[in-house]
Amino acid sequence: MTRVVRIFLYRPQRALMLPALAVFVGLLVAGFGLLRPAPRPLLVVPPGYVALINQKGILLSDFRSQVETETSKSFADATPTERARVLREMINEELLVQRGMVLDLPETTTEVRSNMAIGVNTQVAAPVLAYEPTDAELRAFYDKTRDKYTAPGAMTLQDLVLHVGGYQNADQSLSQALADAAEAVYQLRSGAAVDYVMVHFGFMRSGRAADGEELDFAVKLHLGDKLYQVATTLHDGEVSEPVLDWDGVHILLMQRHQFPKVADFTAVRDRVYLDFRTAATNRATEENLKLLRSQADILVAPGQSQ
Amino acid sequence: MGTKWKWGLSSGTAVLIGVVILAQSHWRAERLQNRLLELAPEAVAADLSLVRYASNQARPLFAMHCAACHGADMRGNPALGAPNLTDDVWLYGDGSLYDIERTLLYGIRSGADNAHNEADMPAFGLRGILTESQIRAVVQYLLQLNGRPYDVQAANEGRAVYIGAGNCADCHGPDARGNNDYGAPDLTRNVWNSGADPQALYRAIYSGQHRIMPGWRGTLTLEQIRALATYVYTVSHST
Repeated sequence: MTRVVRIFLYRPQRALMLPALAVFVGLLVAGFGLLRPAPRPLLVVPPGYVALINQKGILLSDFRSQVETETSKSFADATPTERARVLREMINEELLVQRGMVLDLPETTTEVRSNMAIGVNTQVAAPVLAYEPTDAELRAFYDKTRDKYTAPGAMTLQDLVLHVGGYQNADQSLSQALADAAEAVYQLRSGAAVDYVMVHFGFMRSGRAADGEELDFAVKLHLGDKLYQVATTLHDGEVSEPVLDWDGVHILLMQRHQFPKVADFTAVRDRVYLDFRTAATNRATEENLKLLRSQADILVAPGQSQ
Repeated sequence: MGTKWKWGLSSGTAVLIGVVILAQSHWRAERLQNRLLELAPEAVAADLSLVRYASNQARPLFAMHCAACHGADMRGNPALGAPNLTDDVWLYGDGSLYDIERTLLYGIRSGADNAHNEADMPAFGLRGILTESQIRAVVQYLLQLNGRPYDVQAANEGRAVYIGAGNCADCHGPDARGNNDYGAPDLTRNVWNSGADPQALYRAIYSGQHRIMPGWRGTLTLEQIRALATYVYTVSHST
């Protein structure tokens, strides 16, 4: 058994010595930290810098680069006057930036906030943009986002309706209306004039179809889902079967149907490539925001949501 | 004088000498560190004691921060498009210590405003700018430019694409000697960052090049960056 262990085992009064010593050293260190004078401001420009503005340095390398950019000369060839002018400009800029921080411009100025946000997103996106996708990845992206490369369809059509039951005081029964509509469809397909069929069977224009051409989404909006589904199956000059909707029996006459057209991959691969990269960038910035949120302490006032 | 005194005196002297040696080496290191930053980059490269000091400082830094891409032997990695740092071929600038330091400070396409971000090699095939056969022809032209075996007819077609549809000459120049102002490599020196075989050349043209290098300002100190720049400069100019 060593001597130290023996002291602690058999001389309990000495066992206090080490903790006491530790406390003393701790106090000494704390006291030194508290009473130590604050670091003195630099009185000379440190190596590697060309100037210190309120203790913030301007890199010599940045100065040299700026001189070469502004004068279109090598640094060695720039005259002392030119160098002095550039340095003055850089100092002025630094002063303005520092003033901006004092004025808390990021807090008060939309443009500063927006540029800071863009700056961070640019940094986050940089590594993502280094990745060059393969053909297969581009093709998969195209397949997944085919809608983006689809030219919308358009339709020019008429929608006739035969009101039934109590709707707008129509006195026809549903079965009679369906039978009349079937006959009307037969006649229309056989070449009868629309006006004749309307008068003969009592059809009206529903008012849901526009006079001229409409894009698909507008047709869907106006006709409603049920009739639109039927319309999408009709080709130029075709007449639909009777369709029962909430206001009566409808017949659709398709005058011109331009179907949606998906652009061929090879025709739009440049767009797909750019969209792929944009999507990757967006994913990176979203991930970054997710990370920032997970690390942030965000409190939202009661009654508010985000 | 007793033995105890003699022993004490010699121990004290030894400690004193040790302290003096330590202080002297510390003072010397501080002096070299200051000089490393005080001198213009060109002057650093000419000062052997500084180069030695900087290289000693830089080696572990290189292993920690740069070797992952450029390789422990500094010879680059074609899979990553990381260039060989031991030769005298430079994408940006002329390989002066100042140029190397600028690249280290702000990087390449790092997202920093001062980074090298002047141009990108477009993905000619992926974007449908050139057809696969046009790209193959350009590859043959590149082989011809570098004195490697090539197909004469395809190389002639490749030259036409180089000047015409590919607009390669816009960045690499009509003589294909590149432009260090915006990182367009010289295509006549048979130095290829992404691999030298025809398939690698094809891939580089087909998929483009958009390599990045991080800027180290803020992560490393100025002294560390200058030391790394000096180290890379020295290695590249001594082989």
